[in-house]
Amino acid sequence: MSWFADMLGPWRGFAVTFRQMFRPKVTTQYPEEKRVKPQRFHGRHVLNRYPDGMEKCIGCELCAGICPARCIYVRGADNPPDAPVSPGERFGFVYEINMLRCIFCGMCVEACPTEAITMTHLFEMSVTDRDDAIYTKDELLVEPDGTPRHPQPAGPLIDLEELKLGNGWLRATASSGRAAFEGLVAWTPSATFGAEPPERGQTDADVDDGNEGA
Amino acid sequence: MADASDKVTITLDGRQVEATAGELLIAAAEKAGTYIPHFCWHPRMKPVGMCRMCLVEVETPRGKMLTTSCTMPVADGMVVDTASAVVEKAHEGILEFLLINHPLDCPVCDKGGECPLQDQTLGYGPGESRFVEEKRHHEKPISISDLVYLDRERCILCARCTRFSEEISGDPLIEFVERGNHVEVNTFPDEPFVSYFSGNTVQICPVGALTAKPYRFRARPWDLEAVESVSLVDSVHSKVSVESSQNEIVRISGVDNDPTNQGWLSDKDRFIYEHIHSPRRLTVPLIREGDTFREASWGEAVGLVAERLGAVPGTAVAGIGGARATNEDAYAFSKFMRSIVVTPHLDAQLDDGLDPEFAAAVHPRARIDDLERAATILLWGPDLKEEFPVLYLRVRRAAAHLGARLVVVHPRVTGLDLVATHTVRYRPGEGPATLKKLAAGDGDLAAVRAALNEGPVVALVGRPGLAEDPRLAEAVAAFARDLPEATIMPLVRRGNVFGALDMGLAPTLLPGRVSVTDTAARTALEDEWGALPEGVGGGATEILTGLVSGDREVLVLFGADPMRDHPDPTLVRSALEAAGFVAAFDLFLTDSSRLADVVLPVAAFGEVAGTVTNLEGRVQKVNQIVPPPGQARAAWSILDDIATAMGGSLGATGAERLNKEIARVAPAYRGVTWDMLDWGDGREGIVVPLRGADQPLRHIPVDTGVPTVTERPAVHSARVLYDDGAMLRNCPGLAGLAPRAAIHMHPRDASILAVRDGDRVLVSAGASVELPVVIDAGLAEGAVYVPFNLVETAALGAPRSIRIDVVREDAS
Ligand code: SF4
Ligand code: SF4
Ligand code: SF4
Ligand code: FES
Repeated sequence: MSWFADMLGPWRGFAVTFRQMFRPKVTTQYPEEKRVKPQRFHGRHVLNRYPDGMEKCIGCELCAGICPARCIYVRGADNPPDAPVSPGERFGFVYEINMLRCIFCGMCVEACPTEAITMTHLFEMSVTDRDDAIYTKDELLVEPDGTPRHPQPAGPLIDLEELKLGNGWLRATASSGRAAFEGLVAWTPSATFGAEPPERGQTDADVDDGNEGA
Repeated sequence: MADASDKVTITLDGRQVEATAGELLIAAAEKAGTYIPHFCWHPRMKPVGMCRMCLVEVETPRGKMLTTSCTMPVADGMVVDTASAVVEKAHEGILEFLLINHPLDCPVCDKGGECPLQDQTLGYGPGESRFVEEKRHHEKPISISDLVYLDRERCILCARCTRFSEEISGDPLIEFVERGNHVEVNTFPDEPFVSYFSGNTVQICPVGALTAKPYRFRARPWDLEAVESVSLVDSVHSKVSVESSQNEIVRISGVDNDPTNQGWLSDKDRFIYEHIHSPRRLTVPLIREGDTFREASWGEAVGLVAERLGAVPGTAVAGIGGARATNEDAYAFSKFMRSIVVTPHLDAQLDDGLDPEFAAAVHPRARIDDLERAATILLWGPDLKEEFPVLYLRVRRAAAHLGARLVVVHPRVTGLDLVATHTVRYRPGEGPATLKKLAAGDGDLAAVRAALNEGPVVALVGRPGLAEDPRLAEAVAAFARDLPEATIMPLVRRGNVFGALDMGLAPTLLPGRVSVTDTAARTALEDEWGALPEGVGGGATEILTGLVSGDREVLVLFGADPMRDHPDPTLVRSALEAAGFVAAFDLFLTDSSRLADVVLPVAAFGEVAGTVTNLEGRVQKVNQIVPPPGQARAAWSILDDIATAMGGSLGATGAERLNKEIARVAPAYRGVTWDMLDWGDGREGIVVPLRGADQPLRHIPVDTGVPTVTERPAVHSARVLYDDGAMLRNCPGLAGLAPRAAIHMHPRDASILAVRDGDRVLVSAGASVELPVVIDAGLAEGAVYVPFNLVETAALGAPRSIRIDVVREDAS
């Protein structure tokens, strides 16, 4: 009998193939067609502003300190008193991320005390020159109206709309440090793409803890 | 201090632990390996029990009691619990209270990441606060001095800063003001926190309330790299940690070290690093072309120097400098000049120091730590606060807290007068007569003489002023030597001057404390180096006059700026102009190197590793943390190239190799290698010679009969901490701190001249400068005081006599 089982063996393997032939196909015609990514997708970073236009980054270097790939370089400086860049004493006057080294782990986003750095859904960042892979404040910081900048123009590969999908992280992690929000999903407005209505949960916490939000 | 017989045994968390009677519980526990959290206690200061963080439970006849371990001396049989539930609850309570008003500044706070309050909140804190009320608000950092910011919101009122300035530095200019909930640290109205030691308060503040201006927002602790090193601002060689970020030195902190600085630094030690990254640093070799310089390649510059040094007989070449270099660089320079160029004319001092044999090999020599045990201290030398600030702290501690009697002899009031038992003023020039009177205990000096009779005596001797005879110091030492159990510490200030002298950068010395006239040692050295030049060379002033007269033609400035540091700048200028060729190794284009023909850029502090020797003969290691800028490089490697181009060889292939050579050929340094200094006890430095090694030269001080000069007005010209030296000038944080230049006069002399405070006078010596008058009752009558090397007084130097003409308003 064993000769019969030996002959059947390969056909058993083909059974998998035959079964797959009748399943729905999932190939996406990238780049003409793009899949919807999960809300907290780890794409390129942006540096956000407050709705009043102030930069959120305070140059604290926590993101640089946590970065396992050591690809972030931040230097802080005193805020000019008459034209402050960010609220408080200090602002990030140099901010660079080397995208070739970045492993898109999102640790910087978690470390940031002000939600200044967040990740978007855009991952198409190929360059022909290594230096261009170092994103500076010019590329990272959003315009005062919240529009993100990108070094390459929109094209078949680059959908700049994806840059606007940028605050999934905020929705998941923002705590704004207020006791009344303990255990609740809270959200601080991000200027990445303008103010958004608060998520469920924030209004649920009937807040009057004497602390104004950030 | 308690001795070994006073041991007691305490029970610490169930363990039997030995401690010294009278020791504080917190210190005893730390020694036994049990850390007790604390904020206000500092091992170098008296306890106050302000912060309550150090609470522990101690068994008493009435049961267990919470006690602050920083104020509780250990007693035999004490039973202590440092981690009971009650103690934990106390910790949580204290921290919750401390944080009631504490701002959430950590991300922008310069202390964040190395903050004891952060660390202890994480380790012992409650995790959550019940206080939701608005916090106390103050204006964000206020500037309390030129170097320090105070953020009152962050202060936890531990009183470390106020205690430091009162107890340790003796300039109590910050205090607690207001009461209750409004207490804050502040300065007195209209009196900034002007202290030479203010940076220490920044270092010991357990929070980010006091921060240093030069370091503000420059880096965060996690992007700092650090190496241990020693400060080369003066010859005390305080132990420091040099910290850099992105290849730039951004901070220097004091390291606690019993033999030298006990953790403290002067602000000059702490903030001088800024010059290292000055945009004015030299980064390429420069060759003179007419009135300017052009940039050149190393090959060209080295070739030119080699050619010009080789073109004249060796004895027509002279070298000045080396006191700012490491021992390895100084050794390479000494070997280069003596064995390649073959000249005996070498001097690391600029006629602003002491006799080299006396400075390098005085016997019996004091150590800084002898001050801890001294019964009497005789200080006849510079104002320590201005020239040796860390030594000032050590002497002040001995006099103010350890009960030593202090006798200060100086032409003017000094920083130590407040804690001195006796002060003696004399007119510069009349030192020898004063010494004779003191030795005999004549007249009003009888009490002073009597005070010197109790040993051990430590005599600190140096030049009180640069216009005085350097031999006076040795005469004082000769007198002090006969006092009971006397030891002597010669005071010469500049960086590594003692290392340079020990490497033979003096007309009368060869490496390893050997006299050039010691034939046996000479022969031994000749076996290593080849033939040495004959005879004793000339010192700095002799070299300079030789250049003017044409006896010498070529000068090598090895990191020296004689235009600013020699007492006679007029002579220096004519010498540099008369010289046929001047090569300068320098960090900056200084007044002197500006007159050179070739300027070679060298590496600075923090850019090279090596050894250095301090004023007690302690060899310590300095380490590299950043690369030199541009093409600047270590001096020894430049010398090696020049030697090769001259057809010789220094055999210098690395600083460590030079160190091994020193350990072989320099008798007093025999056996002292980098390995020994990098690890274990050697990190505190090693006083040479090692036991068993021999030091051929032991110089017993003798009074060579210094003549008394009675000149009117007698000139007192002394350095101030912040002068117009090249490093300070290029250090933005400190450059503005130089005092206002003025000529100080005793009130009676001023009234004779009919000048008032603020009047202007024309002061003439080699040059004339116009200076305002300051009436100074702290000055000996008949003397005037002109600070040395300020922008306005640099041209004067330190003349032995001057002319004063009053500038009358109506005359102009
Ligand atoms: S992005 Fe956030 S974490 Fe990074 S420096 Fe700015 S404020 Fe700090
Ligand atoms: S002092 Fe310490 S706890 Fe306070 S803000 Fe600064 S880092 Fe944070
Ligand atoms: S400023 Fe710092 S050192 Fe001074 S009392 Fe406040 S916390 Fe203590
Ligand atoms: S350390 Fe004991 S009370 Fe502060």
